[in-house]
Amino acid sequence: MSTATRLYLSNDTSARAAGAGALADAWSEHPEVQLIRISSRGAFFLEPMVERDTPAGRVAWFNVTAQDLPLILSGTDGTPVRSIPFLAQQTRFTFANFGETEPLALDEYQTRGGLSGLEAALRITPDAIIEELRVSQLRGRGGAAFPVWNKWKVAQQTQADEKYVVANADEGDAGTYCDRMILEGDPFRLLEGMLICARAIGAGRGYVYCRQEYPAAAKTLRAAIQKTDEAEWLELDGEPFPIEVVEGAGSYVCGEETALLESLEGKRGVVRARPPYPAQSGLYGRPTIVSNVLTFATIPNILSRGGAWHAALGTEQSRGTIALQLGGRVKHPGLVEVPFGLSLHQVLEQFGGGMAPGSRFKAVQVGGPLGSLFPASQMDIPICYDAFAKAGAVLGHGGIVVYDHETDMVDLARHFMAFTADESCGKCTPCRIGSVRGREILERIQAGSGTIEDLSLLHDLGDTMKVASLCALGGRAPYPVLTAIEHFPAEFRAKLRT
Amino acid sequence: MDEQVKSILAKVRSEPPNILKALLALQERLGHLPTEAVSDIAHALGVTTAQVVGVLSYYPDLRLTAPGRHLIRVCMGESCYANGCGRLLRELQDRLRVDVGETAAGGKFTLDTMSCAGNCAVSPTVMIDRDLYGRLLPSQLDILLERYE
Repeated sequence: MSTATRLYLSNDTSARAAGAGALADAWSEHPEVQLIRISSRGAFFLEPMVERDTPAGRVAWFNVTAQDLPLILSGTDGTPVRSIPFLAQQTRFTFANFGETEPLALDEYQTRGGLSGLEAALRITPDAIIEELRVSQLRGRGGAAFPVWNKWKVAQQTQADEKYVVANADEGDAGTYCDRMILEGDPFRLLEGMLICARAIGAGRGYVYCRQEYPAAAKTLRAAIQKTDEAEWLELDGEPFPIEVVEGAGSYVCGEETALLESLEGKRGVVRARPPYPAQSGLYGRPTIVSNVLTFATIPNILSRGGAWHAALGTEQSRGTIALQLGGRVKHPGLVEVPFGLSLHQVLEQFGGGMAPGSRFKAVQVGGPLGSLFPASQMDIPICYDAFAKAGAVLGHGGIVVYDHETDMVDLARHFMAFTADESCGKCTPCRIGSVRGREILERIQAGSGTIEDLSLLHDLGDTMKVASLCALGGRAPYPVLTAIEHFPAEFRAKLRT
Repeated sequence: MDEQVKSILAKVRSEPPNILKALLALQERLGHLPTEAVSDIAHALGVTTAQVVGVLSYYPDLRLTAPGRHLIRVCMGESCYANGCGRLLRELQDRLRVDVGETAAGGKFTLDTMSCAGNCAVSPTVMIDRDLYGRLLPSQLDILLERYE
């Protein structure tokens, strides 16, 4: 009697979009196949990727189609996973489980060190947890890069009848997908990080605000919450710590922490003026820690390995690892977790594998739709907060999108401004009006009726939006537009009316 | 008040009331949010109609009219932009003979855009209902659309 072969296939949304879903449909009833649906390793250019066990570890087949099954079952032409350069050159801590485990297998999570961060946190005082985070020098991974311990200290010291922990899973920055991967692929890590935070600040309730565009993420996370609840570790000091998943409704600005809180309260997702900061007065006016999914997911390792371990990785002002998400016209799009400090050039060559076939490099954008553009001459910049701040740029949430020679920079600039005009919450004038005027000017230039004055008008407008907007949407929106004009002035001038 | 609306709202009652949650629950069941239900919603939640309309008009995903049987959303994120989402959108507009936001004749498809599907490493992306399709070429659209009834 023949036994079925265990084959590992990712159930990540992008892996499915690349064809893993069709493979699963084709093989689910196959008598010789026992399909295990795992998280994705993030080497999306290789998806759908199928793996099987060997005495020397997992072996993989890339870009698999249903016809490749005989090859895989006979064990022919596979590549050892550990020898895939894209993965072997990474330093995976937060993403260590990816490609290894079934997302909802709590026992596997624990076998691989899961829950040891929470256990460590339960053994020490809330002050000691916050001290460990101070030592770690962890900064928020959502974009603002604020020291995490500082926020926690404020929330801890603010007296209130209730406090909240809110995970920001409204990953709206185009070009980013690492939060989605965590929600779908290693959801217990997020929940563990939220529990550690709740213990530190004395919170009694948690929320995950998940964007509506991520249905699989919300579903997986709800299942994970149910599992942890059944396993009786969704509690603190003997009291239940309920975590609820709340879905958004398509608004980008709801990823801004105060707009997110408004939306969580069921209102228009409009930005609040700060101060007070959410750590003092957040959800329903109570002290609230709002942090990105990736930030919470980074915390269990800090508690189990120690803050000093985290602080030893990365650069002076940027400790730990960064999850970079490569996209656009790069040859190898996918998730790259490395310590801070590699240059942009290194990341794109070493991991990105250069340009997609037929493409020549034109520019790269780092940090989502509000991130600056870099031309080929600025690729030596080290990927860390301080170097980017010095260049007037941001790392944002770690999205890196490469544009090729076919990109029309005027149209791209128009695309950016149109995005802000669509997504502005309308609370502050510079963003509400400025983004519309900016879009109009760029449409005028694109249509061939712009003048040289329009370019200086864009600069003036950009300066106003930068200094006078209430949140990062209006404040950062001019950067991709102005860097496009700065680095590709000829393209703009060529379209002006003479 | 419509009995169905009443029973859905009863399930999402909270203190303080959560307008967005109530609207999403209604839309989930009804497919869209009928304007004539606004005052009922306001009454049931104990808020003003202005508050309900304020929330209703704010969020792109809340719909006042029923979409077609299938909702096609073309991702306009930067990675999709770099990989030719503009061409995909134009092809879909031509094939379905609709503009963004419109429903094609026969009510089969509504065409819309989205700002990012988080599928950037497998772009360009089209989302139909809750399913994502990546690395799409305009030439693959016919076969894709045929899958939907």
